[in-house]
Amino acid sequence: MSNFITEKVLEIEGLHLRFGGLQVLKNVEFHIGNHELLAIIGPNGAGKTSILNCINGFYRPQSGTIFFQGIPIHLLKPHDIAKLGISRTFQNIELYTGLNVMENLMAARHIHMKKGALADFFFFGPARHEEIKHREVVEEIIDFLELAPERKKVVGTIPYGVRKRVELGRALAMEPILLLLDEPMAGMNLEEKEDMARFILDVSELRRVPMIIVEHDMDLIMDIADRVIVLDFGQKIAEGLFSEVVKDPRVVEAYLGEEEVFDG
Amino acid sequence: MANIDKSALNTLPKLLRARTLRFGDRKVAMRVKDRGIWHRYTWKDYYERVKDLCLGMVSLGLQREDKICIIGENKPEWFWAELAAQAAGGIAVGVFTDCAPGEIKYYVKDSDAKFVVAHDQEQVDKVQEIKDEIPLLKNIIYWDPKGLWSYRDPNLLSMEGVMKTGRRFGEENPGLFDKLIDQGTSKDIGVICYTSGTTRLPKGAMLSHYWLVEGVRVWSRHDGWEQEGIKYLSFVPPSWVAEQAYGIAGGLVAGVCVNFPEEPETVQENVREVGPGLLFYGARLWENINRMVQARMIDSTRLRRWIYNLFLAIGLKIADLKIENRPISPWWRFLGCLSHHAVFRALLDRLGLSGVKVVYSAGGAVSPEIIRFFLALGVEIKLYYGSTEMGVISSPHAGEIRPETCGRPVPWTEVKISQEGEILIKSQFMYSGYYKDAEATASKLKDGYYCSGDFGYIDKKGHLIVIDRMADLKLLATGQKFSPQYTEARLRFSPYIKDVLVVGGEKRHFVTALINIDLDNVGRFAEATHIPYTTFTDLSQKHQVIDLISQEIRRVNKTVPEHARIQRFVNLHKEFDADEEELTRTRKLRRSFVEERYKDLIHALYTNQKGITVEAMITYRDGRQGMIRTTVRVNTVD
Repeated sequence: MSNFITEKVLEIEGLHLRFGGLQVLKNVEFHIGNHELLAIIGPNGAGKTSILNCINGFYRPQSGTIFFQGIPIHLLKPHDIAKLGISRTFQNIELYTGLNVMENLMAARHIHMKKGALADFFFFGPARHEEIKHREVVEEIIDFLELAPERKKVVGTIPYGVRKRVELGRALAMEPILLLLDEPMAGMNLEEKEDMARFILDVSELRRVPMIIVEHDMDLIMDIADRVIVLDFGQKIAEGLFSEVVKDPRVVEAYLGEEEVFDG
Repeated sequence: MANIDKSALNTLPKLLRARTLRFGDRKVAMRVKDRGIWHRYTWKDYYERVKDLCLGMVSLGLQREDKICIIGENKPEWFWAELAAQAAGGIAVGVFTDCAPGEIKYYVKDSDAKFVVAHDQEQVDKVQEIKDEIPLLKNIIYWDPKGLWSYRDPNLLSMEGVMKTGRRFGEENPGLFDKLIDQGTSKDIGVICYTSGTTRLPKGAMLSHYWLVEGVRVWSRHDGWEQEGIKYLSFVPPSWVAEQAYGIAGGLVAGVCVNFPEEPETVQENVREVGPGLLFYGARLWENINRMVQARMIDSTRLRRWIYNLFLAIGLKIADLKIENRPISPWWRFLGCLSHHAVFRALLDRLGLSGVKVVYSAGGAVSPEIIRFFLALGVEIKLYYGSTEMGVISSPHAGEIRPETCGRPVPWTEVKISQEGEILIKSQFMYSGYYKDAEATASKLKDGYYCSGDFGYIDKKGHLIVIDRMADLKLLATGQKFSPQYTEARLRFSPYIKDVLVVGGEKRHFVTALINIDLDNVGRFAEATHIPYTTFTDLSQKHQVIDLISQEIRRVNKTVPEHARIQRFVNLHKEFDADEEELTRTRKLRRSFVEERYKDLIHALYTNQKGITVEAMITYRDGRQGMIRTTVRVNTVD
């Protein structure tokens, strides 16, 4: 799979994160290459989501560096990081529940909108033109994620599985250079999971966006990830192809009691 | 191509060419909603695409009388593919989109198709799964490339690519397309429609261009929808003969402007945006709309419900006067006008029915209550009687809507009733036989009449009343006959009953029923009355729900003869499902199959059991199977 890593999009070195006396991440380092689908797995509390939170600026690591396309981002604010082209989804869906699907996606276009509030208020000429252009992008995504029947439905009223898809749609609407997915399949039934896996692969295939996925479902990781990183108690204990890392004795130990997961 | 003789316009492709010459870019032939916007295709756009696709397929080896299977949702591409096949003298064969690979294999193999035109990845995957077992199949052509980017199969082509090839091929062979169209005659077969096959394997009924062109011409004239630009919402699957008549031939013959919904799920939204003038909904859809309205009213506030019920009563009164052909007094006219403006106008707009001029239904009995309900709102549903083989046979004439009948025979048919009560038909527009099955074709003909296999009679006013399939009439041990479907249609009018199988038989003394409750509406009822439940199975066996269904049955029992009344019933623990072959793809119940499958339940209905434990294999969409075990209560209606 090394041919995937032609260029490093994101590079993390010596990442330490502590909450008081609790060591959450200990000397974590890894990178992700262009077009790569990297999965982070590990037992509960291993620090998977914390890594994503460090990357997009929610947490400020005590030490270590995160370089995104050569730019150090570990000192930037979340909205600045988003502007650079890193977008994410959340484990517990974070959408505007009072807005409809289309409006939620349009909101994500905000970072690409250039006209000021005044021009938007009068909404003619360039401001209107801009809105139409963004709507086109959003409609592409609605079509891509098969959300057309839900387009005008208020997010608070649609089923959980669909909301997860809207979240992915919102992350895509930002036209990211790097996509972070935090448990995109959590709480879904098998059919919804398979649909989501198909969408993730389509994104990777068509849009060529590198992705970091945090996920519990091993079968799924096995099917879609190019490379896997295993975390345990904040430390990286293995890295490589899925078939390789599951044979690693340290990984087996970390997952003791969940061995059957790897049988398939 | 220069001189156009009207009588020479005897095939669909010739009509397409003539319309393009006449209207070019000036008139819209079809609209489709995509990415949230309605896009238009003029007659010229339509023609150019058909031309490119046709020549593309010809360059790939399409010859006269070759068959092309088309499998996809209602989209312009579906129509283009059919016309492209026909322009080259080929034959279009429609396949339902929800068919499993095995079913697709049957259609493609039975029709000897050379090409399959498939909508998207889902359909392509299904065809690829079985393509090795079909030696005649040359190419699969898809029109929606999503998800297919990385497929590497030389026989899998995109429609866009084929069109491009066709364009080049057309430049190299100028005049070829016109020559191909000119070779077509009215006797050529244009379409093979597979009959839905509630009894046996589907048979392919061959329909000639004469059937498609002249049949639809007289039909559209007869009912007044031969209007340039009358809007039609394409929703019925084109593999069904009705869509062939209204959408495909209707556009070319009668000038219907065809509108395609964005997704099957958005039809209700899209129909409102279109405001069609011509509409065809299957019986089930009318039932669903009615159910939806009733359910919304159950959810509504008391005041609103009161207003709705008041005006609906007025509407129904006027509907009854119309049905009985009695004069409507100025006072009732005034009340009718009032209710229209107060309630019905807004309701019809919500349902997308505010602009309708001609509304049809067919295929499966529609409950008279439904016809009456919509008549009360001011929509005359013409419930006609027709078949794939014979087209339209009888239909209500304007102002002659009577809910129990299918109107009078249309001028181009002759209908008589055999001694056994079977409906026999002669028509100017007959099908050209079943494909590769002369025996079945011959067995359907008796003294020049086509034997429909339907049981019915003609009343004093000359209206045809269709009761049921001959084979489905049931005898009771008492020697009395009854029609299960008749009772079923009336039971399905209840918002709480989605499907039902009424059972009887020569060895049985009374009638019973298997009920498939409507999860949405019964669920609402449960919420409103604070009944906790977990699953469909759990809900169906709650005693309050059983009481609710009992009430509904008692209501219907009043309207049928005493011997045909339902005495015992069960609420099924699962829904009837087309994936388990309990329903056909047009959602008709496969009676004998279902009876065999639930024979233990039926046995319990006729013995004095109070309940029965059932285990059932259920098949999911992806082919996996699961097992459910539960106790089903057997109930008596008093």
